[in-house]
Amino acid sequence: MKLEILNALDGASILKELGANAKKSTAASALAKIKVPHKKSEKYRYFDIEPLVSKDWTVFHPESQEVQSKGKKIVFQDGILANRGDIEGVSVELGDFSDIDGAHFDGLYYLSHLLAKKTVIIRCSKDASFEIEHNFSQSNVLINYRVAIFVDANTHCQIYESFKGEAEGSFVLGGYDIFAARDASLKFIKSHTLEASGYTPVWSSRYKVDSNAFFKLSSFDFAKSNGLNIFKAELKEGANFDASHLLYGTNKAKCGIVSEIEHEGKSSVSSQNAKSILDNGARGIFDALIRVQNSAKWTKAHQNSKAVLLEKGAYMASKPQLEIYIDDLEASHGSTTGQLDEQALFYMRSRGIKEEDAKKMLILAFAHEVVATVDDEYLANKIYAEFERVYYGYYELDCLKTCENCQDTTTGL
Amino acid sequence: MSKVLEIKNLKAKIGDKEILKGLNLNLEEGKVHAIMGPNGAGKSTLSKAIVGHYDVEVTDGEIIYKGKNIVDEEPEERALEGIFLSFQNPVEIPGVNNAYFLRTAVNARRKHLGLPELNAAEFLREMRAKVEELGMKKELINRSLNEGFSGGEKKRNEILQMMMLQPDVVILDEIDSGLDIDALRAVSEGINKSKDGKRSFLVITHYSRILDYIKPDYIHVLKDGKIVKTAGPELVAQLEKEGYGSFEEN
Ligand SMILES: Nc1ncnc2c1ncn2[C@@H]1O[C@H](COP(=O)(O)OP(=O)(O)O)[C@@H](O)[C@H]1O
Ligand SMILES: [Mg+2]
Repeated sequence: MKLEILNALDGASILKELGANAKKSTAASALAKIKVPHKKSEKYRYFDIEPLVSKDWTVFHPESQEVQSKGKKIVFQDGILANRGDIEGVSVELGDFSDIDGAHFDGLYYLSHLLAKKTVIIRCSKDASFEIEHNFSQSNVLINYRVAIFVDANTHCQIYESFKGEAEGSFVLGGYDIFAARDASLKFIKSHTLEASGYTPVWSSRYKVDSNAFFKLSSFDFAKSNGLNIFKAELKEGANFDASHLLYGTNKAKCGIVSEIEHEGKSSVSSQNAKSILDNGARGIFDALIRVQNSAKWTKAHQNSKAVLLEKGAYMASKPQLEIYIDDLEASHGSTTGQLDEQALFYMRSRGIKEEDAKKMLILAFAHEVVATVDDEYLANKIYAEFERVYYGYYELDCLKTCENCQDTTTGL
Repeated sequence: MSKVLEIKNLKAKIGDKEILKGLNLNLEEGKVHAIMGPNGAGKSTLSKAIVGHYDVEVTDGEIIYKGKNIVDEEPEERALEGIFLSFQNPVEIPGVNNAYFLRTAVNARRKHLGLPELNAAEFLREMRAKVEELGMKKELINRSLNEGFSGGEKKRNEILQMMMLQPDVVILDEIDSGLDIDALRAVSEGINKSKDGKRSFLVITHYSRILDYIKPDYIHVLKDGKIVKTAGPELVAQLEKEGYGSFEEN
């Protein structure tokens, strides 16, 4: 199936074409209006979306399989719920999802909802900390799935999201609808390594952060191939959204974040910090808008992007934007792209540290600032080690020469 | 007396501007040499030329260190061979742990000298002892390198690095700037203790106060890109009285 054919259809025909449930007619009309993106679409200019829309995809529809209920992990296999885990206070069901956003900016958000027959609905009614693991093994198919997470009022959760498998040539479309109810808190930590010969993921999500709720998103993308994260966050009165993103791109990967943060309620707070390290022809994307509506007095909104380019062919598409419809607020945004600090490099070399080693220390330091935002020490160490693995992996030859140093770096002091 | 560093007819530019204009200077093993001169004379430029800083382009002349011209050597090679510069303005490096950085540098030098590397515990023991000697706050050991350090803390950290790296030639560029009297004492003590009869010092200053604490064997006056006078310590008093105005090239 070629997704671009949907662009000629109206809402009703899209529903029919995709065999989607009539309850999703608003999603179908929204898609008919926004359209399936193509390479000139505003939000996809820096990414390579053509393969998704113009290739004749086989959509992966597996046989229905039994869902296990054991351990502290929720596991997906090629987009299918394989294990709902056995986590106290956390229910995981396949169901019809009726809270699709009526005003998302992204066509793929709607497309993915329309393609998904069912949604995996996770409800956290007690404080919990658990992992969601995504496994991929099917090559050359289109995998699509949706997950909804409800964190009940006054409930505090941490979710760690991990990824396994390569699934060469596949495209993974999907995303989350996350609802943090009043006074809830959610720490969502995502660590995703994209191998050179793997699938291409595009996640399109919606986060709704209710009154006085706190949503902390820490995303780590270590990319040797393309991948894009799209999200919209809505902040109600007193809501706090804190997003940190670390991107390491190499091997010509095009990878990054497209986001819109909507301040809807009074005294809502958002802070979004992206750090990108780009090497070997990689392209980093940070196309991020913060919109403060006129209902959102006394808002605080801060946004920053810092990128380091390690070689001439690397590129950062950084587009932080603030759209403000009110006076009474505190807001800032900034963006810097550059090389490693020459003075710092020289200082280290003047103490006898080889230039290559000095560069590595500076890069690890740059990355470490984002890793340090994860306050779960076990996870922070795990993510840092993964970054080192991917980063040093590229310098494998160097590493062999100075093996004992590499080990030192991993353990630190 | 054996010369550890010989600078011959050194000419160097920063950008398009010639700063060092045929400078000659010899450093003797185990001695303390002071370079004095007005602001803008080229003192920091000289120190940068010796360590191979990217700002400075050497256009002519030689810097002979231990018998070898090092003008084309990488900064890290010069450091491994034993040249150390305490910077006038040490940089702050966020995210790089002070102890981890210094241990990497110390082990690089030890490896270069054919000595066994220090493990984390051995290294920390030594570092803690030196930190105490210098009257530094212990917490600075595990902070990011120089980040948020006061002026005095940065200078003490430079001396700490010097003491741990055990170089053969130590260049101190305005080590006393920004130091209060206690810090000045601690820093000078650290430097004086590092004198071992072999290590040479080049104390760069535009102000004679530091020379009350670190006694020089020789004074050189640097003016307009050249050394215009070399004499014994008695020159300090004359400089204080008359300033640099009276020194012309001899
Ligand atoms: N990075 C630089 N770019 C341009 N000119 C410089 C730079 N650094 C120093 N200079 C110039 O070189 C001259 C010598 O400077 P410097 O060596 O710092 O003098 P000193 O240390 O004796 O005060 C001064 O005129 C100064 O303005
Ligand atoms: Mg100076």
